[in-house]
Amino acid sequence: MGFNIIYNSTGIINFAQGEFCMFGGLFAFTFSVSLGLPLPLAVLLAVAVTAVIGGTMERLVVYPLRNANIITAIIATIGVSIFFKSMGRLFWPKEAYKVPEFTGGSFSLPGATVSRQFLWVLGLTVISVLLVYLFFNHTKAGKAMRACSINRQAASLVGINVSRMSLYAFILAAALGGLAGLINAPYASYSIGLFLGIKGFTAAVVGGLGNTFGAVTGGLVLGLLEELIPGFLTVVLGVASGYKDAVAAVLLIVVLLLRPQGILGKGTVEKV
Amino acid sequence: MLEEKQDTVPWWKKANRGFTYLIRRNRTLLVFAVFLAVMPFWAKPLSAPLGIDLIFVMRLVGVFTIAAVGLNLLMGYAGQVSLGQGAFFGIGAYTSAILTVKAGFPVWLGIIMAIIISALIGLLVAPILRLKGHYLAMATLGLGIIAFVFFREMTWLTGGNEGIRSIPGLALPGIGVTSRRGEFYFVWVIALIILALCANLARSRVGRAIRALHQSEVAAEAMGVNVAGSKIRIFMLSAALGGLAGGLFAHLQGFIDPNMFSITLSISLVTMVVVGGMESIWGAVAGAGVITFLPKIVEALPKWLGEVPKWVERYSNYEGIIFGLILILTMIFMPSGITRGLSDVVRYRRSPFINPFRKKVVE
Repeated sequence: MGFNIIYNSTGIINFAQGEFCMFGGLFAFTFSVSLGLPLPLAVLLAVAVTAVIGGTMERLVVYPLRNANIITAIIATIGVSIFFKSMGRLFWPKEAYKVPEFTGGSFSLPGATVSRQFLWVLGLTVISVLLVYLFFNHTKAGKAMRACSINRQAASLVGINVSRMSLYAFILAAALGGLAGLINAPYASYSIGLFLGIKGFTAAVVGGLGNTFGAVTGGLVLGLLEELIPGFLTVVLGVASGYKDAVAAVLLIVVLLLRPQGILGKGTVEKV
Repeated sequence: MLEEKQDTVPWWKKANRGFTYLIRRNRTLLVFAVFLAVMPFWAKPLSAPLGIDLIFVMRLVGVFTIAAVGLNLLMGYAGQVSLGQGAFFGIGAYTSAILTVKAGFPVWLGIIMAIIISALIGLLVAPILRLKGHYLAMATLGLGIIAFVFFREMTWLTGGNEGIRSIPGLALPGIGVTSRRGEFYFVWVIALIILALCANLARSRVGRAIRALHQSEVAAEAMGVNVAGSKIRIFMLSAALGGLAGGLFAHLQGFIDPNMFSITLSISLVTMVVVGGMESIWGAVAGAGVITFLPKIVEALPKWLGEVPKWVERYSNYEGIIFGLILILTMIFMPSGITRGLSDVVRYRRSPFINPFRKKVVE
């Protein structure tokens, strides 16, 4: 979803999105475990700090590159991603940290055991999707951001501060990324960065870039396929489940080639 | 009448004229070749005090130059962003390694097969070239991941995480190349030939065609350029060069494992092209040099400075911080790369840096 927000309002694909998730998890660990703050406060603080990092990144890296070409911007965000990851390693030298679960334990449903953490993940996802939806459709800033995504020049003509919208987009995306990082992975670790970025992009593309609900649908589809396909491969074809990591990439390429507008996206006509 | 007059020019004069022309066109290349030829003589005494084995590193620079030149043709000239060059590099390395170790091929044949297989796989995945901009970048990145997963999981062929060990060193039929200096010359002779070919390709009709489609595919198509065909051909060429570099790399290293060919490799190849300077053959050389030497310099830095604070010494990942920072700063202040920046200084006496924070009157 964070990918979608940034892409929407700036037209930049942010490779450091995965690192926002990393920071979210790591800061949540620091605040809750090392500093002993109560969990809700720690979560809020972690999200806030990640948002500040996102905003700083926009001002220092993305803003100067607003007139540059695609490749330059991509490389710069990759640079940011590498930089963030090393900084993370500098301050959190261990391989993995465990953020405490919101409420431990699990409870049984007929036929399945569900951990409470899963309910939190589900609940927070639904809430943040709803909030983002309301923001984009019912507030002035959200509408302005959408205007920027449609046509930056026109948006600027009707008095929208395009560069400020880009800043807001990065802050929002970083906050969401941080939230995703800390609820999604009780184990915050380093390898998640780039792979998570690709998964996020795949989810966004599968659902249709620039479509909030699309991103959620895409995320669900991707998650399901990643669990189902390796199982299918092992049982039916008898190959190792290590191929799981390639599922997102294959899905991305197939969707891009066959249905570039995504599952929910509307077709567009390219004009010359 | 006119034609008869031209025919009176003897053939040896024509040949001589062509030769002079060739030399004049490739002057930089020749200077660079001479520089490389004498390099082992002055580099050896210099290596010890620097703490860097210059010749050892320069062999790798040569390998990465080949891969980066291919990528530069694709990205800089044709404007097709590829974050998957590492995949072809890996395919080349594995092809040559498997053929020489398991099937007993001679090394030169292994490397030739590496080129062919990489180019064929490039052709196989060419449909993704229909995508543009971000989508192409992400799809090629996906290719890189798929290749990496296959290297890791096809254990029966690639040895899985263990990789392949005891790969024979570089050799031509009859001549074994054993010393480092020999490897250095071997790699750079190939690299220089590739550089010369690519420089001439970029100036040719094909080169103009791919630059045209960089600017506007529609306009290029209207001028009669076969856009889809040109893209596929240049992609295959880039893949083939990646495969060649990978093959050489496998024989230089003597062992390979999947982690050498992860996405990080693709990204550092792209970085070489962009930091060096796109749309410039020399950009690839400069980029490969800078990006390959950088980690070695960072490694050797404590030796030069003497005392280093304990926590810096213990922390082994500061290379990532410096690398990331250089990447960001180059993109912001010198977006057209080192070679362009330097030529600006020399030719126009202009600062190589731009000020991106300056407000424009009309945004």
